[in-house]
Amino acid sequence: MFATMPVNFRLALRSLNRNRMRTLLTMLGIIIGVAAVLTMVALGTGARGSVEGEITSAGTNLVFVKAGNYTRGGESVGIVAGRGAATSLVPADAEAIVEQVDGVLAVSPGVAVRTFLTSGEARAFARVQGIAPAYAEMYSWNISPGRMFSNSDTSDAILGRALADQLFGAGSDPVGQVLSIRNHSFTVIGVTDGQADDHADVVFVPWATLQGVLGLGHIESITLAAEKAGEASRIQAEITNLLRLRHGISDGSAETQDGYLAAQSSVGGIPDDFTVETQAAQALTRGLYTPAAAFALANLPKLDEVTLDEMSDTLDKASNTMTALLASIAGVSLVVGGIGIMNIMLVSVTERTREIGLRMAAGARSADVALQFLVEAITLSLLGGLIGLVTGILCAQAIGWSLGWPAEVPLAAMALAIGIAGAVGLLFGSYPARRASLLDPIDALRTE
Amino acid sequence: MPVISLQNLKKSYALGDNTVHALRGVSLDIEEGEFVAITGPSGSGKSTMMHILGCLDRPTEGHYLLGGEDVSNLSRDALADIRNRQIGFVFQGFNLLPRTTAVENVEVPLLYSRPLLPAAERRQRALEALDSLGLSQRADHHPSQLSGGQQQRVAIARALVNKPSLILADEPTGNLDTKTSIEVMRLLQNLRESLGITIVLITHEPEIAAYGTRIIAVRDGEIVSDVANTPTPMEHVEEDQEQSEPALAAANA
Ligand SMILES: Nc1ncnc2c1ncn2[C@@H]1O[C@H](COP(=O)(O)OP(=O)(O)OP(=O)(O)O)[C@@H](O)[C@H]1O
Ligand SMILES: [Mg+2]
Repeated sequence: MFATMPVNFRLALRSLNRNRMRTLLTMLGIIIGVAAVLTMVALGTGARGSVEGEITSAGTNLVFVKAGNYTRGGESVGIVAGRGAATSLVPADAEAIVEQVDGVLAVSPGVAVRTFLTSGEARAFARVQGIAPAYAEMYSWNISPGRMFSNSDTSDAILGRALADQLFGAGSDPVGQVLSIRNHSFTVIGVTDGQADDHADVVFVPWATLQGVLGLGHIESITLAAEKAGEASRIQAEITNLLRLRHGISDGSAETQDGYLAAQSSVGGIPDDFTVETQAAQALTRGLYTPAAAFALANLPKLDEVTLDEMSDTLDKASNTMTALLASIAGVSLVVGGIGIMNIMLVSVTERTREIGLRMAAGARSADVALQFLVEAITLSLLGGLIGLVTGILCAQAIGWSLGWPAEVPLAAMALAIGIAGAVGLLFGSYPARRASLLDPIDALRTE
Repeated sequence: MPVISLQNLKKSYALGDNTVHALRGVSLDIEEGEFVAITGPSGSGKSTMMHILGCLDRPTEGHYLLGGEDVSNLSRDALADIRNRQIGFVFQGFNLLPRTTAVENVEVPLLYSRPLLPAAERRQRALEALDSLGLSQRADHHPSQLSGGQQQRVAIARALVNKPSLILADEPTGNLDTKTSIEVMRLLQNLRESLGITIVLITHEPEIAAYGTRIIAVRDGEIVSDVANTPTPMEHVEEDQEQSEPALAAANA
């Protein structure tokens, strides 16, 4: 049975080639159906990829602890120092958070300074930020060329791309260059492509080293990654309690105060000496803006309460609506296309009744005849599927381009589309094939 | 042992309330290498008999032994296999596949042989069959590019390609002029003599029946006469051909 496959395939191609116009018109339903499936998947994947890209480049599920306390309210922004100087946050706080708060994936203590840095002739004024190795994963950095440092107390440095360009020329490879910062020599071991807006013109160095260079005992911030996005709020609350305890700030009954960070800014009248912020709030105040994000945000009443979870939920809903729409177009087209194939195959069986009779007289079994027509139907639908595949990819590119979304067509989606097309041919070709196979050879031979 | 043995074979068709008795009890033995011509008026049951002989149809009653095997009640697929291995058909209307080359037409029965021969071997066998009928120059021609006689020779090549023991021809000369008819008949005669193939041929025309070694007349579904015949010799054919040609030309004018 499989041995006759090449013969049947050749017969099918010949028969389809004989009625090119008819073949093309018959394939139209499948073409549209498959194109719709691919466009759907491409735009869905693209939209999700786009939002995930933004969220990841803003950092995933991050919580920020900062030394000091700023209260912001109303139209004007007033900055008031919290209790004590902003020197109370120490590396031990970071260790305590890792040990005592559940669901924390990684922490990076941080110190920073804006200063001059020199490398031979080159000279720049830039921000120097002390971080832990985990920082690179929190922000999904790609470090190229070079690599991330693996300890917090070495004299390695990672340059932001813009700063590397400024110091050593556009597109340069600065790995191995020596930077002098506050009379301390750092060796550049990598360049990050970090997309967050404040990563491009910064030099990153191990935090403990920078602490030493600056002669500080405290740290200025702690960046943490939560294991799950939905837990950012809980972690925020637990850190607040933990740090209050460690910093000796009493947790009395609340006399709350209006303002942006009211809930955590003070308890019982004593102001905190730190602030804890979730990434969502930070991202939103920074203005994460693309058509996709704008859509998500427009559908959320309270901007500052949004969590990343909610945001991706809303996006999912939006893209689900679109997916449903395209899926129904695809479904209807595929069914219509399948019926078209069935119709044309029935016509073909009728037209070729004599041929069928002759093949039977020559010894074709029912299954041989059925297989011939089934292969023809499947060839027809697979051909339609291939054309639909190309059309779909072009469509997705065009729509993606006009909406500003990247349109990715995963290989699996292509395979799925072709598989669906083949299945449609198999399903709707079976009945005509069966009819052909059950013809009476004598009647078939007699047909004019 | 006869190649073909029909034993009180009956075939009837139900048409509404009526029953048409196409064959009313035919008994017949055909030996290997016989060239049997079956004649009879229209509707007498010749084609019905041929369909049963060709395993395209099954009798309503009676038995059909082909090469000693009772094939009266075999399944569709079993009959298909017998047709493929043992029987070659030649039809009045040639029944070549249009827009398909002569050699591909001849290959058709080989596509259904089990086990399937490799493509190259199928092509080789088809070309040999065409060659044996003097058609090697026409292998790549489509039926529409061939004369009626050539088309019928392609059809005979197709009937022969699987080396059958029996060739069934239902009015093979019905669509041909006298000259080509004679060519085809000589060809069939030749096959019988050189390969020993048994031939059963249906015809309306006594001149065509005269090529057989045996002539059977059928009427109303029954055999009414069954006589041995001295086949028309070749020389006689030539004379006949000379005589008939002017008459044919006049008729065509
Ligand atoms: N499928 C059928 N259904 C009903 N009746 C049929 C069928 N096939 C044949 N017959 C009848 O059986 C009888 C014999 O038909 P058959 O075709 O065998 O005659 P024939 O001798 O071949 O005639 P012709 O010389 O015209 O070809 C006819 O009366 C015909 O009408
Ligand atoms: Mg007949």
